[in-house]
Amino acid sequence: MNVREDYDLIVVGGGPAGQAACLALQDRLARVAVIDEQSRPGGQILRQPPRAFTVSNWQAGGTYRKLKAQLRAFETLSGVDWLGGRSVLDVRAEGDGWRVLVSDGAQVASLRTRRVLIAAGCYDMTTPLPGWTLPGVMSAGAVQAFVKSQRLTPGRRIALAGSHPLQLLVAEQIIEAGGEVPALAFAQSLQSALVQAARRPMTVLAHAPQLLKVLLGGLRLTASGCRIRFGDRPVEVVGEEQVQALRLASGAQIDCDAVALCFGFLPQSDLVRGMGLNVLQGRFGGWTAVHDPWMRSSRPGVYVAGETTGVKGAEAAGAEGALAGLAIALDEGLITSVEAERRARGPRRRRGRAIRFAELLDAIADPSVFLSQAQPADTILCRCEDVTQGAVDAAVATVETPNAVKLSTRCGMGPCQGRNCEHLLLQRMNSVEKAPQGFRARFPARPVRIGDLTA
Amino acid sequence: MRSVDVLVIGGGLVGCATACRLAGAGASVELIEASYLNAGASGANAGSLHFQIERRFLENGDALADQAAQILSLNRLAIDEWRGLEAELGDSLHVHMRGGLMVAQTPQELALLEAKVARETAGGLPSRLIDGEEARAIAPVLSPSIVAASYLESEGHADPKALTLAFAAEAERQGARLSLGARAVAARRVHDGYEITVETGRTRSSIRASKVLIAAGAWSGRMGELFNLHLPIFPVALLMNVTERAPPLIDQLIQHVGRRLSMKQAYAGNILIGGGWPSRMRLDASGRFDPGQQADLIETSLRGNLAVAVDVAPQVAQLNLIRSWTAVTAVTADQLPLVGEVPQAPGVYVAAGGSAFTLGPTFARLLARQILDEPEDRLRLFSPARFSHLNSFMGMAGA
Ligand SMILES: Cc1cc2nc3c(=O)[nH]c(=O)nc-3n(C[C@H](O)[C@H](O)[C@H](O)COP(=O)(O)OP(=O)(O)OC[C@H]3O[C@@H](n4cnc5c(N)ncnc54)[C@H](O)[C@@H]3O)c2cc1C
Ligand SMILES: Cc1cc2nc3c(=O)[nH]c(=O)nc-3n(C[C@H](O)[C@H](O)[C@H](O)COP(=O)(O)OP(=O)(O)OC[C@H]3O[C@@H](n4cnc5c(N)ncnc54)[C@H](O)[C@@H]3O)c2cc1C
Repeated sequence: MNVREDYDLIVVGGGPAGQAACLALQDRLARVAVIDEQSRPGGQILRQPPRAFTVSNWQAGGTYRKLKAQLRAFETLSGVDWLGGRSVLDVRAEGDGWRVLVSDGAQVASLRTRRVLIAAGCYDMTTPLPGWTLPGVMSAGAVQAFVKSQRLTPGRRIALAGSHPLQLLVAEQIIEAGGEVPALAFAQSLQSALVQAARRPMTVLAHAPQLLKVLLGGLRLTASGCRIRFGDRPVEVVGEEQVQALRLASGAQIDCDAVALCFGFLPQSDLVRGMGLNVLQGRFGGWTAVHDPWMRSSRPGVYVAGETTGVKGAEAAGAEGALAGLAIALDEGLITSVEAERRARGPRRRRGRAIRFAELLDAIADPSVFLSQAQPADTILCRCEDVTQGAVDAAVATVETPNAVKLSTRCGMGPCQGRNCEHLLLQRMNSVEKAPQGFRARFPARPVRIGDLTA
Repeated sequence: MRSVDVLVIGGGLVGCATACRLAGAGASVELIEASYLNAGASGANAGSLHFQIERRFLENGDALADQAAQILSLNRLAIDEWRGLEAELGDSLHVHMRGGLMVAQTPQELALLEAKVARETAGGLPSRLIDGEEARAIAPVLSPSIVAASYLESEGHADPKALTLAFAAEAERQGARLSLGARAVAARRVHDGYEITVETGRTRSSIRASKVLIAAGAWSGRMGELFNLHLPIFPVALLMNVTERAPPLIDQLIQHVGRRLSMKQAYAGNILIGGGWPSRMRLDASGRFDPGQQADLIETSLRGNLAVAVDVAPQVAQLNLIRSWTAVTAVTADQLPLVGEVPQAPGVYVAAGGSAFTLGPTFARLLARQILDEPEDRLRLFSPARFSHLNSFMGMAGA
């Protein structure tokens, strides 16, 4: 594996967005690196299993066909250094370029680059409820990551609860991998989901195949014995040392040995905020990077694409990546603006289409039914530091800013740097749209062994 | 218009603790804080209680070290102050006074330690010089490369996040008024004191005070300008690092006599590593240092600081770093704290500079006495009078 010290472009994230950017550049930029925590390219949606064990029939299904074709094309690019299994800890301005600190689990290398593309994807939004810190409770995304890369399920009977239709897919994947899904609960009612769909008839029509697939998936699940409930939100995970059951608002108690929660995603924003790029706050907390029509961020030489700019699916991510790639080629003087405009047309169209679908999905998957319910005061809100919602509320009553709450309660002071609790705090502060800032972004974006920094 | 005996500018440790002492003595007090309590250095420091002469006084020749030795009487007062704080303010301050070691690795450093301990002994501080073996017996985490250490039993650490808030709560109980999000923007002299203009959001109001205390940390120099004064206080940006929680590993405060290091295990188990490594301060629109902006981390500081930590305590290499932060504090032109009344502006007091986590509660107790006109000369060494030459042509004529 090649690692230089000086690059023309460093791409953070080898998902659909990062790949598409490299493909748009067509090896015309000499020194390009793609850095990803996963050892192989693919991003969250593909999550290629480690080369060491090949999984037969890995990610079959039409949804993934296009993405796999893109991945194959990406893997044949010869001019890209693939730096997998590495975490970007920090990106900071230096002279007319950027300094990128990268950990490979043994050392921390310091790379220079003239341009950076942040295509870091998203992560599951944490949604606390009583019992959620018991071993066996996880996010649907984590279950999926497990299933996708290892074809194993992290439990035998996994109950699913949330508001996001992705959980239908996750349920199917669990069953395919040999697990059992005793129940799947949507917090919102079926009517409200249908009303949202009916408000956007054109989008529904345009995406009929995808929607049909979701419906068929639902039917298959029902046929396999999984009961799909609507308008029933999770209220408690029951268990002593380990998950024993999931209790729903209806009073139903579902015996299970694992629970997966699925209320949506938040963009990865640690690097983006650390770099001081302009961001907007999302409805439920979380931050999306601001960009121009060419995916240029608010700072020169920095581009953003994919879920970094808002959670809207792999299709939009790919389109944004392609646009960013074209913008980089344009800014480098490798193509003319006429060529850039011509080649941008396709991605722009795909992006627009995908965003309309994402809006429909957001409306259907709206987690507010769950988030607006107050949890008991002793529910843990920051699990790194064991801070309860009650403690946070008490602090919120007396101080003004998220940083002040952090200082007085330790909420957000743990190893996750607030990834899992900052949005909750902002929700408690009841000012998600207004609060001008969250926690201060601090080095490093991922915990790193001290010995690696001194090696 | 509101009117008080004393207006305190700044809601860090020094401001809150002094407000508490003043209110406790019966004065009417208002404290204004531009941001939130503990927003400055007081909420972001290392929490070390270091009473041995600081390394920074040893690296610039004998004259400075002589002067620093004079601070020892204050350090001795501070030891007593800290021993009483939890009884007074509650036990959530995590005061941990289990000893402190300042280590040496080379013969030159050992010589520095010897000279330092001699000064301390002369100044009545019961530190003692021990060899590497004894140091490792006290703190097994220390590396075999440690050849000697000076040891002081009363050193340790406490929780900076809690202390300021505890003083603020006590100040309120004693009747002080704390105004948050309230920034001092102008000052003028009136016949019986000063009138301070305060900006709260978009509204402006005025407060009259017989006396004013500038306790604005790194902003104190700028606050001096409101009174037409030069206060030689400069902002400096430092680096701090914290590891994940670890099982008990370090019981003492560990410092280094020849290299920049302070290291301790805080109550929750995280190990804090600092020692005065620089960060890069940002500039404001007019091109001046801006203590209000988050300073930028300097990679060589980061690696350098951690390297010393690992060199002194090799086990630390195995821990994960979870966060590095930068924060801005204040140094004065001669490194000694600046505490007392400004001769050219009667009724204007300042308290800034120095290691004011360790010393802040003591400054507060003594300064409150001074402000209330009680006899108090233990702060003489720190009086702004030593910089009077800067203000020969400054100040505000009486109304
Ligand atoms: C757990 C999870 C499961 C998902 N499953 C599905 C699904 O089944 N179907 C679906 O339609 N959508 C799914 N999504 C949404 C899907 O990820 C996106 O729609 C799409 O993959 C976004 O592409 P992207 O290129 O923006 O980001 P991603 O594909 O997420 O790629 C970003 C990459 O950046 C890397 N990265 C991030 N930060 C760093 C860093 N600091 N250092 C190094 N590397 C870094 C990550 O490892 C990741 O591989 C899932 C999302 C998540 C979080
Ligand atoms: C990284 C770091 C580590 C440190 N470690 C130690 C240590 O281990 N031990 C030790 O003893 N000391 C340590 N210090 C020093 C110590 O933190 C400071 O000396 C002490 O906190 C100063 O307290 P203060 O109240 O004077 O200032 P601050 O805490 O900075 O408070 C000043 C306040 O004034 C406010 N303010 C500013 N302008 C205005 C205005 N116009 N109107 C109203 N309010 C205003 C600010 O918002 C701020 O809250 C460290 C400092 C740093 C930065």
